[in-house]
Amino acid sequence: MLKTVFFVAFVLLIALGGGAGSAWLALESTRTVGSVEIGPWVTFPKQGTHDADPYSRARSARLGLLTLGQAEGIVLVAASDSAGRPLLRECSYRLEGDLPPARFFTLHATDPNRQILPAPARFTSSLHSQSLLWRHGRPLSVFVAPHPHAENWLAIEGSGPMRLVLTLVDTPISTGARVGETDMPTITRTGCDA
Amino acid sequence: MLRLLHMILLGLFGAAAIHIAILFLLPTYSERDVWSAMANESGLNEFVRLGEDNADPLLAERQNPFFDAAACRFDLENGMTRIASGDTVPFWSFSVYDRDGFNVFNVNDRSATERGLDALIVNAAQLLELRKGVPETLATSLIAQTELGEGTVVVRVFVPDSSWQAVVDSFFENLRCEPL
Repeated sequence: MLKTVFFVAFVLLIALGGGAGSAWLALESTRTVGSVEIGPWVTFPKQGTHDADPYSRARSARLGLLTLGQAEGIVLVAASDSAGRPLLRECSYRLEGDLPPARFFTLHATDPNRQILPAPARFTSSLHSQSLLWRHGRPLSVFVAPHPHAENWLAIEGSGPMRLVLTLVDTPISTGARVGETDMPTITRTGCDA
Repeated sequence: MLRLLHMILLGLFGAAAIHIAILFLLPTYSERDVWSAMANESGLNEFVRLGEDNADPLLAERQNPFFDAAACRFDLENGMTRIASGDTVPFWSFSVYDRDGFNVFNVNDRSATERGLDALIVNAAQLLELRKGVPETLATSLIAQTELGEGTVVVRVFVPDSSWQAVVDSFFENLRCEPL
């Protein structure tokens, strides 16, 4: 009798724990079913449409997201630098490289819960392509750092993990399956506050 | 030993079943539903500005610091829905979501006549009706064909910097979501 109770309890434990745990993992992790990765940047091209896989559907339902449509743009999120280390607010980073064609783009920093980060003084933790300094014939370069920087500076402050969110607005890469074949800027860590 | 293997195998089968059940039941039972959140705040055919001023956390969330957005619930059973605003802004786009939050139609200002926002959301039957003869007032409207009854439309506007805020605010003030 006791053996049967133990048997049932053990099976239920594996089933409930394993089932709920694996589902949570699949929905929480940034790189998972349905994602497309370009270096450190991750995007979900089909999220929020009827073509989305069940994982993407469950993820949008859980967050209650109003996803951008293809004509609006595409959102790419980086949670780690190009070397694979997690992005930290106390560190400085340099984004460099060419971007896919787009009408314009915006770049902002968030915490892991997708809340926009505060920035020191009158600065903001966000930039858009029409307010950047572009150098003729050279790829774009943006510094993400807690300390002031010459040229393009995205100000951050505090400590802890962060994410960089790049929104390409009205871009041809959001239509069709070419998302994975495009070039994206690299993210290089240049130093950290002790 | 065989009994332990039996238990683990049975447990793993159960885990797979629960994994799949969670996955498919989540969309049905999720309480983070924009339609319901909006229903608590406003009636049909009323635009609600999304952003920090809302009490509901779902409507208060800001997805991009450079975009202002407003959402309106509509029901095509009451007739076609026209969304229009008189002002011009640097960039606008809108998406139509069905009752379950899937994006079913989206467009940006490139597709519009002279970049102004004037669109009609219709279903197949209403489109047929329109084909018979478009009233002159709707001649330049963009037509969004959907297969919806109830839905939500979200208009997003780019705000390059705070000097544009007044223009964008006036755009949203003039924004209408009316059944025809």
